[in-house]
Amino acid sequence: MLDDGGNLSIDFLAGMTIFMIAIIWVATMIPGLLINTQGRTIDYDAVAYRTGVILVEDPGMPANPPWEIKDDLQKDEIERFGLTIVKDTPNILKLSKVERFFCSTSFSYPDDYQQRVIFGDRPYRFNISLVTFDGMMNNSVGDIKPDGYGYIRRLVKIKYPSNATVNAPNFRNSGVSNNVTTHVFSFHLNCTNLIGDEPNIAYQINPLRDQIMVNITNLSKAHNINLIPSVYPSPPIITLSSIDIYRQNPAQTFGQVRTFDNAYIDGGTTPTLLPAFITDNVSVIFPAGFFYGIATDNTHLYINYTFNLDRTDTFFNNSFTTPYPYNYNPNLVTQPKLKEGVLEVAIW
Amino acid sequence: MVNSEGQLFTIEGLAAGLIMLLTAFIVVSTTSIYTPGDTHISDMQLEQLGSDALRMMNTPNTSADSAESALQSIIKNNDTDRFRETFLWFCNNKTGGAYDILQFSTDVYYRNTPTTSVNRFHFTESRKPTGGEHAVRVTEWVQVDNTAGGSMPAEVDNRVQAVLVEVLLWRD
Amino acid sequence: MARLNDDAQWIVLMGFIVSFSLFFLGIVINQSTVVGQTTAEGVLEFPKNDILDIRSEVLQSSKITVAADFDDVKKDISSIALSRKNAIVSFRVTQAPPGSTYTKIIDIHYNNGVTAYNETTNY
Repeated sequence: MLDDGGNLSIDFLAGMTIFMIAIIWVATMIPGLLINTQGRTIDYDAVAYRTGVILVEDPGMPANPPWEIKDDLQKDEIERFGLTIVKDTPNILKLSKVERFFCSTSFSYPDDYQQRVIFGDRPYRFNISLVTFDGMMNNSVGDIKPDGYGYIRRLVKIKYPSNATVNAPNFRNSGVSNNVTTHVFSFHLNCTNLIGDEPNIAYQINPLRDQIMVNITNLSKAHNINLIPSVYPSPPIITLSSIDIYRQNPAQTFGQVRTFDNAYIDGGTTPTLLPAFITDNVSVIFPAGFFYGIATDNTHLYINYTFNLDRTDTFFNNSFTTPYPYNYNPNLVTQPKLKEGVLEVAIW
Repeated sequence: MVNSEGQLFTIEGLAAGLIMLLTAFIVVSTTSIYTPGDTHISDMQLEQLGSDALRMMNTPNTSADSAESALQSIIKNNDTDRFRETFLWFCNNKTGGAYDILQFSTDVYYRNTPTTSVNRFHFTESRKPTGGEHAVRVTEWVQVDNTAGGSMPAEVDNRVQAVLVEVLLWRD
Repeated sequence: MARLNDDAQWIVLMGFIVSFSLFFLGIVINQSTVVGQTTAEGVLEFPKNDILDIRSEVLQSSKITVAADFDDVKKDISSIALSRKNAIVSFRVTQAPPGSTYTKIIDIHYNNGVTAYNETTNY
């Protein structure tokens, strides 16, 4: 007869069953427990890819008004970083978004970025860098890369905004009646034409979304000093008193809506508060989104510069002629330009 | 005479053998198959890079020349040198450190009106593929105005047309 | 009688434990790699770049003013997409009704058997 001493008893079977159930239960939990230690570059690659897509193919959230015009106090309202102009322009980044994204005084590494661009269950470390091929831009945020990391490389174009450079002596008024102390020069932005004439957003000048930059040069040669030395022995003292924004909507009357009081005077690198004295040139940068609240798709915007001289003279003035048009004529306005660059995301 | 004394040993041995085989099979199949190379991660990176490069070549830099992108004029004028130069420049550039080294081979597919078939001509390559490369395929649609003819191969119709630029991209 | 003794039950049990722990370890490692694999496969299988590319080509084609050229390009896109991409692509450009801010309405249809994509866009 067979000795059944070595067979499995009911006790053992029951015990084994409980043990099995327990081990299955534990095993299903292990992946969750190990999330913090799973050092697989595979996962890092996936996160890097996702981050690359968010940056390069998404305009970010909120998209309208765009997140980059939120100031540092409002930065909690930024839900997601994304660098494209709009969602229809993958790989074409907006300069103001890029500059805001890499602004180390506004956003701190890594917390602000983890919540808004990296996402994921665990606090990934990262390094995001962006350079243009011409070497003019070289931005990065993050730690020094360790040996193993997830990686993606994306090729992009960055849209550099338009600007207008006006040579002041070309716009000097003449005649006795114009021999005054207060001179006004105005620029005209016709939003209807700017937005309607160039449907491709990659090349569009959109005052509602883009930075508008106006440079006025050679103001020192715009008055009469060189012409009649006997009457005017020394140059007049020029004061830029104010920059006023006027608007005209189809349904509204023409009127002033804003003043702008920051200008880069005589090549200075920090803006000066107006009114200010000027010797030769002035640059004014209306940041992206400045006109957002005050203009619509069919607004006419007028930017009026008021200059005061300490004596009567002819000067840089077009208030008796037509305003300087800010439009798609490359002779008048330097058009927006795309520059090639490469963006790298490393995650570990 | 056959007796039944060893039956339990036999069954136990069989069971143990099966369990070991099964375990070995499962362990081997779960751990060794999914290496990063096999999970297509590098394919994904390469494909994204190649698509980006072609798309950027097909995006003009200013509205003034938006009538024709770099890639359009390259295909139209059969400018293989410029393609090689631009494409490799895009693909191999990094934000820092040494340049990447990628190789490519490009074909152009077009529709031939008389035969109503889709044909191919070889455009250019950085190195001849031997067939052993682990390459990814990326494509870009290009609109070409070949009305004048002359530069593109003779069998391509002389008309405005859309062609498909297909690039095989691999890392040595 | 084969005096089968039960001294070695622990050895059997240990064998069980070792093999099952190896089994579950395999599952655990498997799960972490599957994350990466599914991501990469998802990316490779979803024809994101194809669709973006078709889309930009269609938008570009919509600017063609000569009707014969437009028909040619349309046929080029459909037939090359079918033979090289195994995808059915068709699109239609219609003029927007007078008074709207856009000039054209573009319908794009893309289907490669796995992914279907339909879009109506204004340009």
